[in-house]
Amino acid sequence: MTRLRFLIFALLLILFAGPAAAADPTLTVGAIYVGSTNDYGYNRSMHDGLMAMKAAIPGVTVLEAENVPETAEAERIMEGMIQQGAKLLFATSFGHQESAFNLAKKHPDVVFEHAGGWMQAPNFGNFFGATQAAWYPMGVAAGLMTKTNTLGFVVGVPIGYAIGNVNAFALGARSVNPKAEVRVVVIGSWSDKAKEAAATNALIDQGADVVAMHVDSPATVIQAAENRGAFSIGFQSVEARALAPKGWITGLGFTWGPFMTDTAKSVMAGTFKPAMVREGLGEMIAIAPFGSAVPESTQATVTAAADKVAKGFNPFTGPITDNTGVVRIKEGEAWGGDKMGNFDWYVEGVIGKAK
Amino acid sequence: MTVSFAAAVLSSSIVSGTSLFYAASGELVGERAGVVNLGLEGLMLIGAAEGVAAASLSGNPYVGVAAAGLACLLANLIFGFLVIERRANQLATGLSLMFFGFGASALIGRAFVGALVPGLPRIAAAGLGPFDIVVWLVVPTALLLWGLLFRTRWGLALRAVGEDPAAAFAAGRRPKLIQFQALALAGFLAGVGGAHLSVGLTQTWDEGMTSGRGFIAIALVIFSKWNPLWLIAGALVFGGAEALQLQLQARGADVSPFLMTMVPYLLTLMILAFWGWSRRSVAPAALGRNYFGVE
Repeated sequence: MTRLRFLIFALLLILFAGPAAAADPTLTVGAIYVGSTNDYGYNRSMHDGLMAMKAAIPGVTVLEAENVPETAEAERIMEGMIQQGAKLLFATSFGHQESAFNLAKKHPDVVFEHAGGWMQAPNFGNFFGATQAAWYPMGVAAGLMTKTNTLGFVVGVPIGYAIGNVNAFALGARSVNPKAEVRVVVIGSWSDKAKEAAATNALIDQGADVVAMHVDSPATVIQAAENRGAFSIGFQSVEARALAPKGWITGLGFTWGPFMTDTAKSVMAGTFKPAMVREGLGEMIAIAPFGSAVPESTQATVTAAADKVAKGFNPFTGPITDNTGVVRIKEGEAWGGDKMGNFDWYVEGVIGKAK
Repeated sequence: MTVSFAAAVLSSSIVSGTSLFYAASGELVGERAGVVNLGLEGLMLIGAAEGVAAASLSGNPYVGVAAAGLACLLANLIFGFLVIERRANQLATGLSLMFFGFGASALIGRAFVGALVPGLPRIAAAGLGPFDIVVWLVVPTALLLWGLLFRTRWGLALRAVGEDPAAAFAAGRRPKLIQFQALALAGFLAGVGGAHLSVGLTQTWDEGMTSGRGFIAIALVIFSKWNPLWLIAGALVFGGAEALQLQLQARGADVSPFLMTMVPYLLTLMILAFWGWSRRSVAPAALGRNYFGVE
């Protein structure tokens, strides 16, 4: 399957290589996506960021390739973009890191930005959203909207960052509704739509009336919740709200536009400096508009909680107990930054095992 | 709206098992005629993509399911041309069909990623459901196929072709024609199975969304001993394996999520191992062999 995709892309690249190389006013920016940009999810958010950058800087040409596998083929597709004159490349999937880094060594005159990784070189930086704290106001929204005091969370793969999202969500929910509990269902992969639908139904069967998710595309979970008359909270792209006219509460979406614009400007000015950029709510993450079912007073409480987080409030400030009663973050301690990837336990109020 | 655990597992097993049932029933008809099709996964993908495409363009989910069936019928006839007329190796051609399905479905589905598809209306009856019409038709389809295979002259001829095509030919039957008819029916059923996954279950298309269900369906045919009625039980067990682990997690069972996601595969292995002890093989004798005709 991946070979076939590569062949199609190679053909497209050959077809379009000629005309694109001719028109090069100021900067050509390339981006590769692991999936389709119509996914109402992560890839859509990256595409939207790139389009925002294009709109903000006149004379920028954008090259995009969808469904780029996380293999050496990513390297070949980016190499093709460089042949077409790309001087800045966004490798947007975690698994594109090695390929991008190899190319960066080969092309010191091209700047690479990778989403979510850790590698760095003079022409290689990385960026990502600090999502965990941003989930706190989502929990506040869910805690206020639930009538059954049962919230559902569909998790693709239980890595530390995803568990951190669930934990912040539970902390937020219980800050306004101490009776709220969060039930977690793990799918085992980032994208298996049939299982995501079944997991959402399972959570609703067990009494959940609000469902949130951390999978590649929120579309299936939101639609399945809408079909059953449950509320949903989205993730990855704020556009997901279109999928649930009745049950949408709110959601988190990545806003990469300002960062991509600044990076493109620095490349054009020759002032690019590599950095490990991690930004949270108000910077790389935005809160989606509220759905029609959300009362004004709830909206105000959620917005206040979001402002608190944007101003630096850390939900992971001790004392915090896990769901077996062990104190994990002591009084006076706070977890942030790198620690967000270290969760292998759920906070009190989450029903589920992390490992 | 807390539902009792057993009822929740049952209803979600029925829903998960439906696409498996249709795909496996198609494979069963083909194998009864002596043709093994390892490309089922690719066929299901074509069905899933075509279902979403047609449902999205027409605004009617039933049109989506029907179009998916027809698309897979055609795709399976191409496969039939290669293995029946050109006498290509069935296993290799089946794998080629699978890769063809990956590519073709990606091409068909490309414009419809993220498209919203109207779902199949769901009806509750006899204390079960609500399920869509494709789910409700599982038992009638199984009965119909059983009747076709075991109670009609055509079914007798089809099974004869699967056991010994030369003998069937000597008895005045046309093995190639019957195999083509079997593959057309098999393709249609596989398409309905794929479309139920996309149009019925998730209402979206995603590349590679069958995630191996086509292969599980092939295993199901062995499990059912080439009998359409046993397929119902098989689809419930295999669909239930997936449903059970998700429902257990939602219920908060004190088990590692990593172990949970292994449950369907462990169950599959256990069932196949247990089935291996049964007395004799009932596989069609000429399964996988090409018929070279009587010169």
